[in-house]
Amino acid sequence: MLKISPDELKLVAQYIHDISGIYLDQSKSYLFETRLGSIATEHGCNTYKELYQKAKTEPSKTIERKIIDAISTNETLFFRDKGPFELLQHKLLPELIDARTPGSPALKTNIKIWSAASSTGQELYSIAIIIKELIPNISKYNIKLLGTDISDGAVAQASRGKYNKFEMERGLPGDKLQRYFTMFGDSWTIKDEIRAMVQFRKLNLMLPFAGLGKFDIIFCRNVAIYFTLPDRQKLFNKIADSLADDGYLIIGSTESLTGICPRFIPKRHLRSIFYQKK
Amino acid sequence: MRNMTILVVDDDPVIRRMLEKRLEKAGYEVLIAEDGYQARKILPQQHIDVVLTDLMMPGSIGGIEVLDIAKNISQNIEVILITAHSSIDTAVEAMKKGAADYLEKPINFDELFLRLEKIANVQSIMRNAQDLSQAMDTTESAAALTIQNLEIRTAELQSRIESIEAILRDEQNPPYERIYKVLDLLTDPQ
Ligand SMILES: C[S@@+](CC[C@H](N)C(=O)[O-])C[C@H]1O[C@@H](n2cnc3c(N)ncnc32)[C@H](O)[C@@H]1O
Repeated sequence: MLKISPDELKLVAQYIHDISGIYLDQSKSYLFETRLGSIATEHGCNTYKELYQKAKTEPSKTIERKIIDAISTNETLFFRDKGPFELLQHKLLPELIDARTPGSPALKTNIKIWSAASSTGQELYSIAIIIKELIPNISKYNIKLLGTDISDGAVAQASRGKYNKFEMERGLPGDKLQRYFTMFGDSWTIKDEIRAMVQFRKLNLMLPFAGLGKFDIIFCRNVAIYFTLPDRQKLFNKIADSLADDGYLIIGSTESLTGICPRFIPKRHLRSIFYQKK
Repeated sequence: MRNMTILVVDDDPVIRRMLEKRLEKAGYEVLIAEDGYQARKILPQQHIDVVLTDLMMPGSIGGIEVLDIAKNISQNIEVILITAHSSIDTAVEAMKKGAADYLEKPINFDELFLRLEKIANVQSIMRNAQDLSQAMDTTESAAALTIQNLEIRTAELQSRIESIEAILRDEQNPPYERIYKVLDLLTDPQ
């Protein structure tokens, strides 16, 4: 495995921060080596400095994309932490439906939900399954479910909606597995009825959220933990701008907004916490 | 590493006997079913890691059906099919349904043991990963509870500080009255 020098460590860590916001601990040089070593060799680079220069100047951004795929932690599972999905089902969606249902039955109810670091899609598909089960007359609704992630690889897998059995076993109750997935060999694919409800695309949360509009519910879970404090502050400020005034924000179960964004106040419902704008 | 338990399903007594002997000698726990019907009875009653089944067996429960039954009981049970060369297409079909592998007759034991070892390795890595993620889940949910409580408490205290500031800055009231009001607020249990 190609060894990384202290100078290169600094250079590469700074570069990764610039392109993704992800802050990597420079004392963990093995982390850089195990994740980037093979990309370096694959592109004929003898040093990490060479890799850095190539990645930076290459117009197609192929290496940059590979680096992002390699350093991002895509760890996720269906119905992760359970609580937020119960919250969605029993409180947030019913309240939102009440608030958004127009007076005239001819009009549709608009609801927009965003999974801001959707990784391989399990979070957004879990949301879609909850909605499918909660709302029987779904044609009366105009529901937009958007998942975004910086990793091309993650976005591609999310779009395919295809999971191996290890990914399936984690978090997914057997009845939902049978109902919403089709098995093929060792892998499972989400059925079209759920697939058609969602949309995935690439987005770097460090950049402006141009053209996304306002959302009624935002899931921004387990991504800000990879960012520095100033980057977290900027991120949640932009998220506040993208959330409807009466909208809801859900963050990871071990995350906190204390000292990060005073525009949000935490509220408790049973065993979960959600945030609303002041 | 724990010994794996293998269920051998074959209607040919000679092959059954041979598989049983060789597998036991290699240190595996072996259970035997004489056909698909017996396999269907044994599968729900015993912990089985691997099913080694003939594809073609008399009656309506063949290898494919045994595969279905096993996978229905647990996705963790791995199924290896034993096939005649002529039924490779069916074996490939079985792989699509979740079979781990297929072996052609006559059985090459080196090949069989290699596949079993591979399955044992994957299963032991899986168990390790499950243990780790279990441990992580426990830590995470404990941390989540603490953080949630702190988050709510901090927000309450923050709003109290804001009320205190408003009272103290309120020049409509004489200073001592402001102090009493603040003390009232502070003794108010909430
Ligand atoms: C641990 S996963 C979280 C997935 C899901 N939200 C959950 O909680 O299970 C973190 C994801 O954040 C993505 N990510 C990291 N930096 C990002 C950035 N700057 N913009 C968008 N996504 C980013 C990674 O690619 C990864 O898929």
